[in-house]
Amino acid sequence: MDNSAAISIPEKAKTENHVGRVLGKAALYLILLVGAVIFIFPFFWMISNSLMTLGETITRQLLPKVPQWINYKEAWDQANFSKYFLNSVLVTLGTLTGLLFTSILAGYAFGRIDFKGKNLLFGIFLATMMIPESVTLIPNYLLIRGNIIPLPGGTWINTYWALTVPFMANAFSIFLLRQFFAQIPDELWDAARIDGCDHLRFLVQIVMPISKAPIMTVLLFGFTASWNAFQWPLLVTTRDTWRPLMVGLYGFVQEAGPYTHWLMAGAVITIIPILIVYFLTQKQFTQGIATTGLKG
Amino acid sequence: MTENTAPYPSHRKTLKLIKLQEQLTGYLFILPALIIILIFGIFPIGYSIYMSLFNWQVTKGPFIGDKNYLLIFGSWWNLLVLVAGLGLMLLGSMVWGKAFQTLSHGRRLAHIAGALVLILGGAIFVTGWGMMFRTGNKDFLNSLIVTVYYALGTVPAEIILGLVLAYILYQDIVGKEVFRMIYFLPYITPSISTAVVFQIIFSSRETSLANRLIGLFGIDPLKWRFEPKPVLKLLGFKVNGLAGGPSLALLTIIIFGIWSFVGYNTVIFLSGLGNIPKEIYEAAEIDGGSKWDRFWYITIPMISPVTFYLTLIGFIGTFKAFNHIYVMRTPSAQNSVITTSLLVFDRFYKANQYGVATAQAIVLFAIILGLTLAQNKIMGERVFYG
Repeated sequence: MDNSAAISIPEKAKTENHVGRVLGKAALYLILLVGAVIFIFPFFWMISNSLMTLGETITRQLLPKVPQWINYKEAWDQANFSKYFLNSVLVTLGTLTGLLFTSILAGYAFGRIDFKGKNLLFGIFLATMMIPESVTLIPNYLLIRGNIIPLPGGTWINTYWALTVPFMANAFSIFLLRQFFAQIPDELWDAARIDGCDHLRFLVQIVMPISKAPIMTVLLFGFTASWNAFQWPLLVTTRDTWRPLMVGLYGFVQEAGPYTHWLMAGAVITIIPILIVYFLTQKQFTQGIATTGLKG
Repeated sequence: MTENTAPYPSHRKTLKLIKLQEQLTGYLFILPALIIILIFGIFPIGYSIYMSLFNWQVTKGPFIGDKNYLLIFGSWWNLLVLVAGLGLMLLGSMVWGKAFQTLSHGRRLAHIAGALVLILGGAIFVTGWGMMFRTGNKDFLNSLIVTVYYALGTVPAEIILGLVLAYILYQDIVGKEVFRMIYFLPYITPSISTAVVFQIIFSSRETSLANRLIGLFGIDPLKWRFEPKPVLKLLGFKVNGLAGGPSLALLTIIIFGIWSFVGYNTVIFLSGLGNIPKEIYEAAEIDGGSKWDRFWYITIPMISPVTFYLTLIGFIGTFKAFNHIYVMRTPSAQNSVITTSLLVFDRFYKANQYGVATAQAIVLFAIILGLTLAQNKIMGERVFYG
């Protein structure tokens, strides 16, 4: 194909075309680079400011003269971050364990088992994605406070349960896993059944090991949702006992207002775990998005 | 013969048993998720409706029926006029759209009729809105305007930028993974933390980064997050208040919204582009279609289901948005940045008016539902499913 094109196109036109192509490519890279700079810049600004002295943040240098690593220690101590950090880690771990348990089972059932009312139930699950938090927030608050039904322990305000249990299932994760599980060839299940496998064993021993990508995607989205949660924790934690990092950071912003260097150090601290998890799951995550695909 | 038929019923029985077992397994598997979603996702909707019928302030008060809703609309008659106007507008746009598809002689007539119905519907809608504004809750109606500004300011920009970036990344690009990773970063990081940086970049100080940047173009320092005046007014137009378009404070939040959401659209578009069969592009190339033609006549229609999905998710998302707006708002920006989700939260959290807040939340939910259905109707017909 290349040969025939070379014959039919005169030499001069070909080089012009070539130059045009290189220029076009350069323009594309330029757009991508400008985009990347815009997306990255706030992070750069966050880090560079977190290492400045207070004076430097006011005169708006681009970079600190001498990196002030002490800012991190000062922010950490002042904002009680060690407490909040631990809280966030425990809340996130608990939520994710529950979320994986419920959504893998439900995703499997919706994808691979026939039962009455399946489509109706799945439709209802999907519809919950449209519901704004504003609607569910107030009844859920009363529910957690123990005003609607009696809860074990009276009220769940300021408890671990308030921060984890409501988020241990969501339609998005179930949908994502269902899409993937449904694509697994039936022959695999037939073979397993002949060997005496039931659904649970098939799920644990065969389906889960080949579904790393979508499970990682659910994990990443679940992790960020739980780690970044703000509105609900703000509502159900009135004391430091279980207050998570984001609410802590918000409080710190109110208090430390003008101390930009501490604020930025605090912001960096809250972002680091997300970055680590993101870089670790990056590959499976992109695969997960592509394979479970949001086709049509 | 009789001996042979004997095993059949029992065999059928085991088959039935297996089917029953299958059903039970299915229910058992969805049970944990079902319990949580029922309690924390579905039950609250019913309970919200219930709460909205009471004078509920921290604790349940007397039953007051539709009073909380009347506080919002002024009267049901106002709402009826408004909805009738909306319905007519929808009808008009549908007639108009249909006229483009059919090739019969009634086309021009249908066009005119569609346009007339559209204008009539618009007029009735505006009338209804005016009536509601006079007797209803101004804070709530203002918050709806702010929400619409926010949605219109973010969603289209996110869609266009996301598609452009995805389309470029889909070409033969070195370092594609790195770019994609960077673009997705703002979406994945906590909005509370990144909003704090935006607060500092867009602070009202003369030396703030945003002010120094516009200073390069000879523009005087602006107040950004603290500026309730409409952007158009700052540009020299004679407009005032919310009717004059989004305020500079809201624009700052819109910029943040676009920045944090474009990467998500890029990633989803990119996977959508991967699903378009390569043969179509090759066929077009052989037919002599230019790069631009290929983008316009192949990519855009083939990607339309993804665009539709992202538009829907985007609009629902802006109506639900809370965290970053809550953190980035300032008292001096007044009501120009209070979206409906924030208003509902304030009614509930600060003013303790649970009944009023739930009624407002229910109305917000109804609007989201209506928007979703309308989008399904209008855009769904134009989406091309391969």
